[in-house]
Amino acid sequence: MSEDVDDAALIERFPYVRIDHDSKHFYRGWLDERLLFNRCDACERFHHPPKPVCPSCWCASLTPTEVSGRGVIHLAMFLHQGPPAPGVDYAMAAHPVVAVELEEQEGLRFTSTVIGCPREAIRIGLPVELGWVERFGAPFPVFRPVEGS
Amino acid sequence: MARNPIRDEIAIVGLGSTGFYRDSGGRSAKALACDASIRAIRDAGFEPGDIDGIVGAAEPGGPNPNEMSAALGLPQVTHFSSPMPVAVFALVDAMNAIFSGSCSTVLLYFAYTRLPWNSRSAAEDPFRRHHTLGVMPAPESVNAAAAYAAWASRYIHEYDARREDFGRVALNARAGAARNPLAVMKTPLSMEGYLQARMIREPLCLLDMDIPVDGADAFVLTRTECAREKTRNPVVVHAATTGLVGTNDEDQLPSLRRHGQHVVVESLRAKSDLWLEDMDIFFPYDGFSIITLGWIENFGWCPPGGAGRFLEEHWDPEAGCVMIDGRIPLNPHGGSLSEGATRGSGHIREAVMQLRGDAGERQVAGARNALIGCGGFFFNSQGAILRRL
Ligand SMILES: [Zn+2]
Repeated sequence: MSEDVDDAALIERFPYVRIDHDSKHFYRGWLDERLLFNRCDACERFHHPPKPVCPSCWCASLTPTEVSGRGVIHLAMFLHQGPPAPGVDYAMAAHPVVAVELEEQEGLRFTSTVIGCPREAIRIGLPVELGWVERFGAPFPVFRPVEGS
Repeated sequence: MARNPIRDEIAIVGLGSTGFYRDSGGRSAKALACDASIRAIRDAGFEPGDIDGIVGAAEPGGPNPNEMSAALGLPQVTHFSSPMPVAVFALVDAMNAIFSGSCSTVLLYFAYTRLPWNSRSAAEDPFRRHHTLGVMPAPESVNAAAAYAAWASRYIHEYDARREDFGRVALNARAGAARNPLAVMKTPLSMEGYLQARMIREPLCLLDMDIPVDGADAFVLTRTECAREKTRNPVVVHAATTGLVGTNDEDQLPSLRRHGQHVVVESLRAKSDLWLEDMDIFFPYDGFSIITLGWIENFGWCPPGGAGRFLEEHWDPEAGCVMIDGRIPLNPHGGSLSEGATRGSGHIREAVMQLRGDAGERQVAGARNALIGCGGFFFNSQGAILRRL
């Protein structure tokens, strides 16, 4: 479980991310294949990326809370070149990157790629759900189309 | 009318530019910045001892103000700072420093170098390879530059925009660059050529992105009262502002209809005696073509989603560029897309050249007022109105 992973080890598990004290819970969640968004204990609003206080009410008491990972594609681009990453071959196919608006709250979005889906189907408005793949030996959250959509 | 006590109080009295290159050879960013700065100080008719403020945008690889002050042998300065890019942050800082009395005359410089991660030839320069990104980011991000391609997808989705709408921004820029000796990209560009360009971050292609260059711009600013001792009609900053909304993380932006550009437009409008009908030249920033479409719409030249049609309707086929109502050009110097990625300093420099009447074959006859919308949607939206008194 991720609680056993100390801060130094957490940084080593995600060499491609700049993790800090505000985002450490978020990435510890990845190790357990859980997408944890900061939720305010006072006003119950989510925010992302993780901030030290709730931007809606300034409450500093925040609970990393698992979200469903279900949502709708809000932004969609296709990278024909970009930073190297395992499993990403820009020459083979343009790499999709999408910002997904999650069902928990209007305007709450998470950005990743989409797998298991032909390129033509990846478009704004497509309902998707969360899945997990492996990157550098650690879990990495991705989206895939909701079955039957 | 909003409070704007600095209105017309600060003048831009010196200009210097190295021009822009794909490869300036063995010149460092500091060498380029010194070159532009010396030109600007001489253009203003000042000596090193007249400069008591130095402000330089914190561009990656660029020199700090203290290094520049040492290189130029400025005897002493009482205000120095390095605001983040893009250009109006530094302009506003310089203006405020003079207006408040922190100093009386500012050297404002911007130095750009191609970096190893955005230029293949720069990556072959061992000195430039010293720059590193630190953590190599994952591709699955819509932060920084990628944000514009991501939101361009939304723009196309919401407004049914066509690639030609973006293409006209690129064509307009290239036509301007052909008339600008400082510009890097002068080869003629057709719509066909635009449509065939390589996709980079689809829906945006290579020609939707500004072009990395080596080069520098510099300006000298002082109080309008002092400027009047040398010229009766100095170019002054009528209003300037920056703008930010609370939710400005790139993928969390509320919508295309509420972001930094909207704050800038509301703020400028409230501070200014001049508005669209008074303008002779319009400078909508073009670090990415989608930003230009945004500025055109958000300043109110046309309704949201209408910029593509607007560019088509105001296209001058003979000149191969935009002429709003047959008289107001857009980024006549070629903008960041074709003059070079100056992050707005090119737009300000061209505005001053035009208002002085020094823009050569690009000159807008009798130009008095220029509107600048600088920066993008998220954390660097800004604007300024310059005028000739
Ligand atoms: Zn709250």
